[in-house]
Amino acid sequence: MFSRGALGACRASSKVHLAQVSRSLATAAESSASVPLSEGVTEATVAALRPHYKSLLKKRSDDTVVQTGIILNRSPTLTRKPTPFERTYYAYQARIERALHNPLPTEFYFKPGSLLEGIFNREENARERKAWGRPGYKPKTKASAESALGEENESGLLPGEEPPPVLMSRTTEADRKGDVKSLDRKGDRNLYLLVQAKDEAGKDVWRFPQTAVDKEELLHEAVHRELQSPIGLGMDTWVVSRKPVGLYRPPVEPQPYLFFYKAHILAGQVRPDGKSIMDFAWLSKEEIAPRVDENYWDGVKDLLSDL
Amino acid sequence: MSAAPAVQVARSAAKSNRWRAVLNARKAKALTPRKPLKRDENGLPIPHVHVIVRDTHQSRIAEHYHNTLRDDLMYMTYTHKPADSKPPRKIRLSYDPEDPYVKHRYNPPIGGSFAWTRQALPPVTYENVIELERIQLHTMVKEALQSKSHLLGALMAFRAISGLSAEQGGMRTVGGVQIVRGKKQVQGWMRRNAPVGVKVDITGPQMYDFIGSLVHFVLPRIREFNGIPMPRPSSSLFSASAASGVVSFGLPPMAMGLFPQIEYNLDAYPNNYGMHVHFITSARGEGAQNRVRQLLSGFQIPFVRA
Repeated sequence: MFSRGALGACRASSKVHLAQVSRSLATAAESSASVPLSEGVTEATVAALRPHYKSLLKKRSDDTVVQTGIILNRSPTLTRKPTPFERTYYAYQARIERALHNPLPTEFYFKPGSLLEGIFNREENARERKAWGRPGYKPKTKASAESALGEENESGLLPGEEPPPVLMSRTTEADRKGDVKSLDRKGDRNLYLLVQAKDEAGKDVWRFPQTAVDKEELLHEAVHRELQSPIGLGMDTWVVSRKPVGLYRPPVEPQPYLFFYKAHILAGQVRPDGKSIMDFAWLSKEEIAPRVDENYWDGVKDLLSDL
Repeated sequence: MSAAPAVQVARSAAKSNRWRAVLNARKAKALTPRKPLKRDENGLPIPHVHVIVRDTHQSRIAEHYHNTLRDDLMYMTYTHKPADSKPPRKIRLSYDPEDPYVKHRYNPPIGGSFAWTRQALPPVTYENVIELERIQLHTMVKEALQSKSHLLGALMAFRAISGLSAEQGGMRTVGGVQIVRGKKQVQGWMRRNAPVGVKVDITGPQMYDFIGSLVHFVLPRIREFNGIPMPRPSSSLFSASAASGVVSFGLPPMAMGLFPQIEYNLDAYPNNYGMHVHFITSARGEGAQNRVRQLLSGFQIPFVRA
């Protein structure tokens, strides 16, 4: 599937993150000066944290330096609802198209006087009426159309004609109840999986699912491992790429760096285990903002779709 | 109270006098009576402005491409390039096109006329993600060599499938269904300039609608269809077909009747016509065809290893 160049690039850069993890701890602390700090964090705060950070790093294993986060996405299942302006524009263009369209050469497509021709003429009349508000279109052979349309039964259908399908509602049970755990909600929006878990300080936070990267493990392998864990076993997922789509740098150093991967849910549902993950929710972009930490939101908001 | 209207009348009189003076000074001509609109051969008025029909509806599959597929394709094909990486080495000197001394000198492409097939695909950014440009349908009707009236069935079938006619909706670039003529004289097979086939280029929302009917109505109902066969993995990525960013496949004659536009009145057509479908995209360069397959599988068109 990939071009040779792409595969070559994967091979060449596959060990990059291992070099990052195996870097000595002091170097990581010292080189942090070269990394631009995020907003609201000054050099003074980093310097004050440094002794604490060093003691932390001593007892911490390497795998917490880099972690992977998963942006698990349910893409829209319904077409977006057009805005009033778009609806007016489309209606206007449709009227122009109807005014300029080439008339159908019915003598080729239908046998004169056939049932199909009658159905077509009736539908064409309805379309004309919808566009211009009057039956401007007259079928050429009136007798043939009448003979075909004369056999209508009481429901207005011709013999052998199926009733038109009834469309499903755009709002579902989950929309009415406000059930954030259901994947049926908000069919025209992108939904993202947010889980409730404990952070390093033991506080309950809402965040994207994340996992530590083991030594000798590639970033995308950690993502696949997480999706094969008891949380992800109940769903079919597809990770979009082997490369991360974004990096979150924590504002204070002892927290891990997060490499985000994009994945799609194809079927199933999350199973929270109650220990590492207490709760979960499928949320659209603007619903995520109030739930997560402000710094975290600044780091991830550009990875999410506005739609 | 009574003074106010009098003042107004006086003012308006003064105003009109002033305007009359201005008009007299300009010696404005009276408006010439407008000529009636010109009429075409059918007796219909030709409007003053060039009316063009734009999108008449939301395209579900186009939105899927722009909202979901485009991001995914960018992430899938992204190659990380360190900021300090060197530009590619120039094999030999070429003339600087900005230099006035050699401005119009012929600048031969390095590597010959087929060098573009060996050019690496440009690094993916959010702007140059692969995009479908057009879909071309093509069929050859052999019987048309005997009598060109045999083309009529294929022509009408393509009109029904694509919904296009030449310059429709005031769009001068829309070619509609076109007749394909023989290029060469080949004894026993082809006559030069003889009409032997039809083709149609589909672009814009109609292109995505075509993909929709292909994926939902036609492909699932073709008998013994596993997917579009791919070339072997060992096949060259430099060949013109692999590098030009086009994926083509054929549909058997029985597939024509599966398009809902044709299925509606299949009896009207004298024959079933197979067709070639070409998906033409914006990708050019080494292995561009693989990118096209990625794009098309995002539209749920299945591929199998042959």
